[in-house]
Amino acid sequence: MIPGDWAGNLRVTGPFVFAILLFLAGCGTISRQAMTLPESSPPQVTVADVPFYPQEEYQCGPAALAMALGWSGVTVKPAELTPEVYAPEREGSLQADLIGGARRHGRIAYPISGSEQLLAELAAHRPVIVLVNRGFFWYPEWHYAVAIGYDQPAGEIILHSGVTPHRALSYRVFDNLWQRSGRWGLLVLPPDVLPVNVKEEDWLAAAVGLERAGQYEAAETAYKTALTRWPKSFGTLIGLGNSRYQRGELAGAAEAFRRAAAIRPADGLPYNNLAQALFELGREDEAIAAAKAAVERGGPLKKEFEQTLAEIEAKAAR
Amino acid sequence: MLRATTKVVSMFVIFSLLMFDFTVPAAKARMIDTETAIAVMRHQDDRARIAAFLERQDVQQAMIRYGVDPDEAKDRVASLTDSEVRQLAQAMDKLPAGGDGVGAVLFALLLVFFVLLFTDIMGYTDVFPFVHKGSGRK
Repeated sequence: MIPGDWAGNLRVTGPFVFAILLFLAGCGTISRQAMTLPESSPPQVTVADVPFYPQEEYQCGPAALAMALGWSGVTVKPAELTPEVYAPEREGSLQADLIGGARRHGRIAYPISGSEQLLAELAAHRPVIVLVNRGFFWYPEWHYAVAIGYDQPAGEIILHSGVTPHRALSYRVFDNLWQRSGRWGLLVLPPDVLPVNVKEEDWLAAAVGLERAGQYEAAETAYKTALTRWPKSFGTLIGLGNSRYQRGELAGAAEAFRRAAAIRPADGLPYNNLAQALFELGREDEAIAAAKAAVERGGPLKKEFEQTLAEIEAKAAR
Repeated sequence: MLRATTKVVSMFVIFSLLMFDFTVPAAKARMIDTETAIAVMRHQDDRARIAAFLERQDVQQAMIRYGVDPDEAKDRVASLTDSEVRQLAQAMDKLPAGGDGVGAVLFALLLVFFVLLFTDIMGYTDVFPFVHKGSGRK
């Protein structure tokens, strides 16, 4: 992760790399992925408004995250992120650190993998943090960079990397370095922007991550955004209710839980949470009815439902 | 001296415990979090899908042909843990729906998977690492 000249490194080690590639190709471990653009994409894209922060030694993680956050509307200096995402004993950052760091700033952290997804996101003008290995598998030199564009006619990916902004790297070289991380990429998005090829399960996981980080407002936005795409998503409605409840919006929470109950009528869980929200709204009779509805439906969480009912009844009787 | 100190400390601890209002945090804990909600829903859906698969006429006939008692199969799936059910459901997802000639082949493959799963559980084979060996039949 020493800031340096990639092409320079590669010139020196070129024949060596070639020998290793031949060897690996024989083992079948190198699989090249075609860099194909989604249809009707512009031939050249450079994402605007991605700030560039030159990294200090070993600090490519904080620098890459600061650039992606800056594009998403959160202005933060790499040095401010260092305590959150940098582990001195490893002289680097783990992927999970970057994900957690993005969430702590109220941003969706959405991992992607493969060139198809990378190019699709770039074509839609979103930068992508990429993990590359600039060394060899037996001498790894892991590095985070931010892909900010591509040039299809020239066959190049454009990166903010190390101390160099707007570095162009041929698809071939880039893919060689990137495939060693399993082509891992990370989108850092405002919670109202869905990735191009978004999967409900993955978006939900990212939204739950925001809840976990205590970013309930961002989580609520993420769930609302999900409902525009998947209006009948049970998990999304529960998440919406829970994040509203955490923010003290009890009536809104109750509304979300009722919608969830309508989608899975045999599930007691939305009634359990509805009961709690109604009780705190002072609507005790309705709360007891909802808690009873949860217990009637049973399921693996029946014990919790019974506890909710018992507690609400005990407090209502006071 | 020591006794007196112990007494003071004990009184302090008892008093502090009495000061706590346990009901308020417990009330918050009654909300079931989103992660749990999603996990429970997924497990229920997986189990329902596997159960529906085992109920299919062609599946039942095929199981009988392979010497697997369909009721026994249902019992075995019911005894799998949630993570095992998840893996099984994902394995099912990877196979396209049967019906045509290709489907029949895939169906046979899937059946082999099921048969091995059952024999794994019974301790005759050891193909799937996620199957915990029990003492054989229940």
